[in-house]
Amino acid sequence: MNNQSPLCTTPVHYIEIDETRCNGCVLCMRACPTKAIRVHEGRVAKVVGVCVDCGECIRICPRGAIRAIASDKRDMAEARYSVVSASTVLYSQFGEEVTPNDILLGLKKMGFSYVHDQSYTNEMFNVAIELYIKENKKKEHAPWPLISPVCPVVVRLIATRFPDLLSHIPPLAAPREIVAREVKMRLSSKFGCDESEIKTVHISPCPAKMICIKERFFQDHSYIDGAVGISDIYGVLKKNIEKVEEDKVLHHSGGMGLGWGMSGGEISGVQMNCLAVSGLQETINYLEKIEMGRLSNIDYIEFRTCSEGCLGGLFTVADKYQGKRYLQKLVRMYGIEKRVKYDYVKKLYRNGWFFAEKNRYSPRVTLTKKTLKERIERQKRVEEILTKLPRKECGHCGSPDCTTFAEDVVEGRASLDDCLYFCGRAPSTVSLKEKK
Amino acid sequence: MPQLQKRFNVDPRDFVRAGEASLQVQRMLRNIGFEEQIIRRASVCAYEAEMNIVMYGGKGELVLTVNPNQIELQVNDDGTGIGDIGAALQEGFSTAPAEYREMGFGAGMGLPNIKKNADSLDIRSGHDQGTRLKILFHLTGEPR
Repeated sequence: MNNQSPLCTTPVHYIEIDETRCNGCVLCMRACPTKAIRVHEGRVAKVVGVCVDCGECIRICPRGAIRAIASDKRDMAEARYSVVSASTVLYSQFGEEVTPNDILLGLKKMGFSYVHDQSYTNEMFNVAIELYIKENKKKEHAPWPLISPVCPVVVRLIATRFPDLLSHIPPLAAPREIVAREVKMRLSSKFGCDESEIKTVHISPCPAKMICIKERFFQDHSYIDGAVGISDIYGVLKKNIEKVEEDKVLHHSGGMGLGWGMSGGEISGVQMNCLAVSGLQETINYLEKIEMGRLSNIDYIEFRTCSEGCLGGLFTVADKYQGKRYLQKLVRMYGIEKRVKYDYVKKLYRNGWFFAEKNRYSPRVTLTKKTLKERIERQKRVEEILTKLPRKECGHCGSPDCTTFAEDVVEGRASLDDCLYFCGRAPSTVSLKEKK
Repeated sequence: MPQLQKRFNVDPRDFVRAGEASLQVQRMLRNIGFEEQIIRRASVCAYEAEMNIVMYGGKGELVLTVNPNQIELQVNDDGTGIGDIGAALQEGFSTAPAEYREMGFGAGMGLPNIKKNADSLDIRSGHDQGTRLKILFHLTGEPR
């Protein structure tokens, strides 16, 4: 409980609110799954709590006032060798005529010294999940169901709202990290240079994957040096794909590795009792079910907080349902047969190849110096205030709901007078008085 | 000494919402910030007790009382009651009808599980007299 990295406890967030555009409506505050936003005192939304980078506030803001603080491309400038790997979502962005190989060649033409396809590692990861499930079933280890470690928003959401479920996340590294690690190792021995001279960049469908490489919550050190959003490079990449003349084969996987961008893509290659759940609200609903001890008959659940999976990420360009159609076509084209060699992957698994260096996440709770006595006292005051509130959950006070408002009052962040109902300023009471 | 008490109602035969009261108990304990281990033990007890109310209880409630020395969970219902408390504490003893067992409940682990996880358990019940459980967890030292 106490060995948390400093970043876990402070309300770090990577969103920026443009004060000239924000009019203080409460849509972002209400959409936030960790209740991190307030519109107290004045009209501008503020982040006060722990953000999980889900992007819901950005999606919902009708004025475009919120944006993700994106990556820093300068990281790449001084690299001797630059390596790019892309989320397989990228393969769904250019229509059905453009193959994964065309896209990889296009990336090469953009000037990266080396391009690595992630889909093959995805297939290997599928095998690793199967092995992990089988191993734990035999030993009766691991609480069931296991939860996929791939979506960083899910991992942070669990650490923030469902810390009891952290033990359900297997200590496997996400394929994007494995790719970067291996590429660095291989190229440094090939060119006889230090790993620090090789910079890896990941092309990401969402801000969360960008942010997680910088966050010590996920790992002490990420092998990925920088990340850019698909939408950031879309135009340039498109032009370069058109200019491709080279005929090299850079893509090696079957269909199972390519479909990962879709909800259900990760588990379709796992021959176990698996579920795929997508969308933020659905994810929360299912995590609550697991918290209540249900679904323990399931082996593994792939959660994605974006609806339809990573295809619905904030940095994608193509329509997510169109993208899904292209990916489904790719899966059919390349076949459901895995191209990885099972025995080879099994050997790698035994050697710890798939395991994350940091194998347990810590709960992200704000540590307080208060004593237990003071904490009980505090909760008691929260409950007392709650009995005075109307429980309309309207959000006019500037807190997302009545319970959070009561906590804010106790913490001194808000005043009871901010409640329209409490001080009789609510529209219904006003109009009733006027009628009389 | 500050003491906080909160009631959570449990509806009989409502298998859709079953587990919600114990989840509320768990959230309240986590909100205050008890040790994870004691929260887990209390949650298991609350859940088992709640399921007993849902299955046999008639109308019932969980009453959570916390102070710096202990967590107390009272479970009250006016249902069928327990005819033989000694037998009900045996693992595997169950009076659950087949329909509950088909849903995966009624395996006869409820009360034994509560006894295993609690620091003390007091049961007052009798045939058709409803059931009163008093479950205690002692807090040793200052957690966290």
